[in-house]
Amino acid sequence: MPLEVWQEQLRRGSLDLAILLTVASGPRYGLAIIQHLETFTDLVVSEGTIYPILGRLTREGLLDAEWVEDEAPHARKYYRLTRSGAKRLAHMKAEWRAFAGKIGRLMEASERHDDAAQ
Amino acid sequence: MQLSEAGESRVQGYLFVLERSLNTFLPREVVRDAVREIESHLRERVLTATASPNERDAVERILGELGPPLRVAQAYSAERTIDEAVATGRLVPIVRAVGHLASTTIVGFFAALAVLVGYLTAFAFVAIAVLKPIFPDNVGIRYAAGFPVGLGAQFPLPPGEHMGGGYAIIPFALACGLGIFIGTHRGARGFLSWWRNRRVS
Repeated sequence: MPLEVWQEQLRRGSLDLAILLTVASGPRYGLAIIQHLETFTDLVVSEGTIYPILGRLTREGLLDAEWVEDEAPHARKYYRLTRSGAKRLAHMKAEWRAFAGKIGRLMEASERHDDAAQ
Repeated sequence: MQLSEAGESRVQGYLFVLERSLNTFLPREVVRDAVREIESHLRERVLTATASPNERDAVERILGELGPPLRVAQAYSAERTIDEAVATGRLVPIVRAVGHLASTTIVGFFAALAVLVGYLTAFAFVAIAVLKPIFPDNVGIRYAAGFPVGLGAQFPLPPGEHMGGGYAIIPFALACGLGIFIGTHRGARGFLSWWRNRRVS
């Protein structure tokens, strides 16, 4: 598998977690979510592809969406984490930490082996 | 930044193409909501942008960061139709997703063709099982000159031919129909899953 494909799969696989983490601290509208993601990560390649993901997470019941009309000259669609979303986020964080820990240990073991071989 | 007539027209053009693309596979109310959200995004971006070096370049930069309307529509397609089909495994979303891919890609067209043949074959076997008790002399394994030449229904049966297999054809046809249906369904779901994994969003 080419490196770019692997990187793309990794990026796509972590986008759901990143979005849920972004709205965990409070409701945010689409552009605010994108800007938050861009501040901390390079997961957003194309801004327009984030909205379909927000739509899917809403359909799955992990996010709640609501249009707010009177906050800006144009309406904004705010997303907030649902109870089910919070539960999913807790599971995803635990999974991510466990997974990253295992891969980290594997890399350390590999590096120790490399050092010993030299 | 306050948009001039030309800038406003460019934004409206983008939204028009997006809406037309989404309309081909999404329900009308979902399209309306999606376009409204993308328009909100653009208005927000325009509001905080400066016309630097000029309005035209600024608008193009904003639209470029959002992505071409067809690409945004493809992302909706992937998230909505394909993910729903893979996640639920239900017949209607799978047929809808394969149908959408068939109308937009060459690989999807051939996959849809294979899926169509699979489902029709499964339906034909089930039809044999259903029709056998109603038309016992016209449904079954067709024999001509003592040799089996086909399986199915024949109205009327040509002279010199007869239907064999008896009522044992019913469980056989049901088993074949069900097996082919499950195989086709799993194949279609597997194809969509593969497609989803290889897409670049």
